[in-house]
Amino acid sequence: MEQYDVLIVGSGGAGMRAALEVGRRDGLKVALITKIFPTRSATAMAQGGVNGCLNNVASEDTIETHTFDTVKGSDYLGDQDAIEFFCQRCPEGILEMDHMGAPFSRTEEGKIAQRNFGGQSYPRTCYSADKTGHVILHTTYEQCLKEGVHFLQEWYLLDLVKVDGKIGGAVVWNMKEGRVETIKAKAIVLSTGGAGRIFWIRTTNPFLSTGDGMAAAFRAGCALKDMEMVQFHPTGLGKTGILMSEAVRGEGGYLLNKDGERFMKRYAPNKMELASRDVVAKAIEIEIAEGRGFGSGLDAYVVADLRHLGKEVIVEKLHGIRDLAITFEHKDPLIEPIPIRPTCHYIMGGIDVVDYKTSATIVPGLFSSGEASCVSIHGANRLGGNSLADGVVFGKVSGAGAADYAEANEQVNCDAELQEAAKNWETRFVEVTQRKTGRPVTEIRDEMANTMWHKVGIFRDEKGMIEALAEIERLQEEYKTCFVGDTSREYNMAFVNYIEVGSMLTVAKTVIMGALYRKESRGAHVREDYPNRDDEHFLNHSLVSLNANGQYELSERPVVFTKYEPQERTY
Amino acid sequence: MRQITYHIHRFNDGKSFVQTYTFDYEEDRTILWGLQKIKETQDPTLTFVAACRSAVCGACSVKVNGQAMLGCESKIDDVTARFGSDEIEIAPIGNFRVIRDLVVDWEAKVDRLKTVAPWIHLKQDVEDENGVIRQSAADFKKFVMGTECILCGCCASECNKLTAGQDDFLEPYVYTKANRFVLDSRDGNKMAHVKPSYENGIWNCVHCMNCISRCPKHIKPMHDIANLRKEATQAGFENKGTRHAKAFKDDLKATGRLNEVSMSLKSDGIVDSAKQAVYATRLMLHSKINPLELVIPHKPVKGIDGVRKIIKKAEEAGK
Repeated sequence: MEQYDVLIVGSGGAGMRAALEVGRRDGLKVALITKIFPTRSATAMAQGGVNGCLNNVASEDTIETHTFDTVKGSDYLGDQDAIEFFCQRCPEGILEMDHMGAPFSRTEEGKIAQRNFGGQSYPRTCYSADKTGHVILHTTYEQCLKEGVHFLQEWYLLDLVKVDGKIGGAVVWNMKEGRVETIKAKAIVLSTGGAGRIFWIRTTNPFLSTGDGMAAAFRAGCALKDMEMVQFHPTGLGKTGILMSEAVRGEGGYLLNKDGERFMKRYAPNKMELASRDVVAKAIEIEIAEGRGFGSGLDAYVVADLRHLGKEVIVEKLHGIRDLAITFEHKDPLIEPIPIRPTCHYIMGGIDVVDYKTSATIVPGLFSSGEASCVSIHGANRLGGNSLADGVVFGKVSGAGAADYAEANEQVNCDAELQEAAKNWETRFVEVTQRKTGRPVTEIRDEMANTMWHKVGIFRDEKGMIEALAEIERLQEEYKTCFVGDTSREYNMAFVNYIEVGSMLTVAKTVIMGALYRKESRGAHVREDYPNRDDEHFLNHSLVSLNANGQYELSERPVVFTKYEPQERTY
Repeated sequence: MRQITYHIHRFNDGKSFVQTYTFDYEEDRTILWGLQKIKETQDPTLTFVAACRSAVCGACSVKVNGQAMLGCESKIDDVTARFGSDEIEIAPIGNFRVIRDLVVDWEAKVDRLKTVAPWIHLKQDVEDENGVIRQSAADFKKFVMGTECILCGCCASECNKLTAGQDDFLEPYVYTKANRFVLDSRDGNKMAHVKPSYENGIWNCVHCMNCISRCPKHIKPMHDIANLRKEATQAGFENKGTRHAKAFKDDLKATGRLNEVSMSLKSDGIVDSAKQAVYATRLMLHSKINPLELVIPHKPVKGIDGVRKIIKKAEEAGK
């Protein structure tokens, strides 16, 4: 049995920043578990930048403007006290990254360069070319190496263990050795990232984003908050869902269906391809649903044709897009159109953080930060550049919160409970991996993704979502007897994937419940049957938690307002 | 229908074997897609790792027909065209301990990475009066290439020196990481990275350039090693490697030709050179070296002035 003061789960920007914060405290023993080598995390994929009011480019920018932009971007679903707290800490968080050695692009004065980003009043997005997430992740990892943070690498969270309602530790799958491990800890921070893989191939997220931490926290008694708030991007690459920048539309690319028709003329005759994200995303999905796309199923797509823009524009202004299209879609936009389709990018919802100053959840000793958490600062729609900032700011806050808690509290005595949980998981490993029958777990995963994409994705209405809920519940039943197919202990990825699918089914169900509750359209949540925002009834967070009978239960909590009254959200 | 065949080098429960899988060809698919297809439709026990599938996380590197590459960005069409065959051999990357099938042990490499203190040693006077760091755009450009490393291990996979022995050499990406800090104007302690690099193998690089040709991010680890050598030499660190390089330069400057006999004496010293006597005799018998060169130096080659100019330019550039 391992024993630490603080255990961090997840090695993205938030998790490693948390570990660093605890590691700098004298006398606290910290370990970080991660299901893969730390620098593989989703943070590495963030390109654009990290927001903070540094005034390096725009002297007029203020923290209050960043706060207002974030509140407005959230479509007034973000908690305003938390957003104020967040925006005040972004500049410090970014300057700390500079001191840690993150390579930032520079202004002529040698300060951190800042660029314009969607939904923001001033250029405040700090960047490192188009690799901002990558450099923040690697820099944070370097600092963790420096501080001697203890990594338990390829250790995968199975369950949190509580005694008398308080966190005592975790049971973990040691992937390399193929055995269940037990870890005692006074405090645990869940920074396990998002869950975009509930849509499987229709997401920009890595294969890792399976909502493991969300599902574990849910089982441990936390609510999942605002799970219906899933951000979609209209232009993902057709085969892989990899994000392609909006510049593809901005520079004048045409969207064509399989008949070669510029179909946007039927949806937005004036703005055509430059209509807003949700309008374009919906138009593409209708074209595919009505048989005017190429291919079938989740693999279907329409195309973006750039050829009329000419070689100069494509090579000089759109070279990033051209590289992506050639590398991952194997189409050179100079010669042929690029397959595209909407893709899930980010989940604003997550583990219900009840105190933004510490990242604490309702379970004493349990903290959460990053995409896994919902503070909520992103509300119904996250602004570009605010997710890396979230990791940098709340990674630190959650580390400090957990460290303070560990200093003030004794280790809960939970040896018996840990052993019991470990024994149960050991039995489960043997039982599920040796099973010779059942539906292959990958088939369950694919059906889940299909259901989620078509009924709880871009299109949402009561009828479709009630069907989706029934389908997910049926899949949860089939999951109990599913086929995994690998009995080995060492590095059994089939077993890990099996647990991931279980996590995703839990997350998927909470997404549907949140989306059914919210009978309005707000931010990323767009309902066909309730097309308008309804401030009278829905300035509330949705909360889904497990009740005493083990059933999913929905409740609500009012949004916190400080001084920003809801206005119509136009840009 | 066209079929693609993967011959996969597997390792499980202590046993190594090659297993063959065949699946239907689809155009524009990647090596990683093929692996996933096999795992999901034929054999759930086939084991590999992947994360971002967009060439930024470094998880899915494998050896394809003997060459390390990222499975997610390597196209089946390209591989079959280049090697003229629809049969593809896939193995774990080299110079790593294999855990299972295509999964290798990165954890074991972390201590080796830490050898060169791969974190910033912040310079004292790098901040302005407000505590804000200043770095010029030109200084940023000097080191940014090295920060693009994604730790995929491709550079280490076919590194000939690592294959020959890992005790006196580090993975090429480790030197790249060290050099990235050496070149960073914010770092105030270059020697914290240079010295351990010097003590751990920079002079043992055999210049095979596999690290350069394998890097999916177009980084040049061998050039990073060269810069670390320069920094170490300028700092006064001396060993056989530095003496060898100096003897090389001195010979070229003097005559435009290498003096093979004195080279060994200058680099290795008398004692170690004497240990090479048998080898030297063999070279002599095959007219590869001429012992008389020790006492009768070469005459300067035609065009020696040009050679000296090149050396002078190189010396200036190195400063």
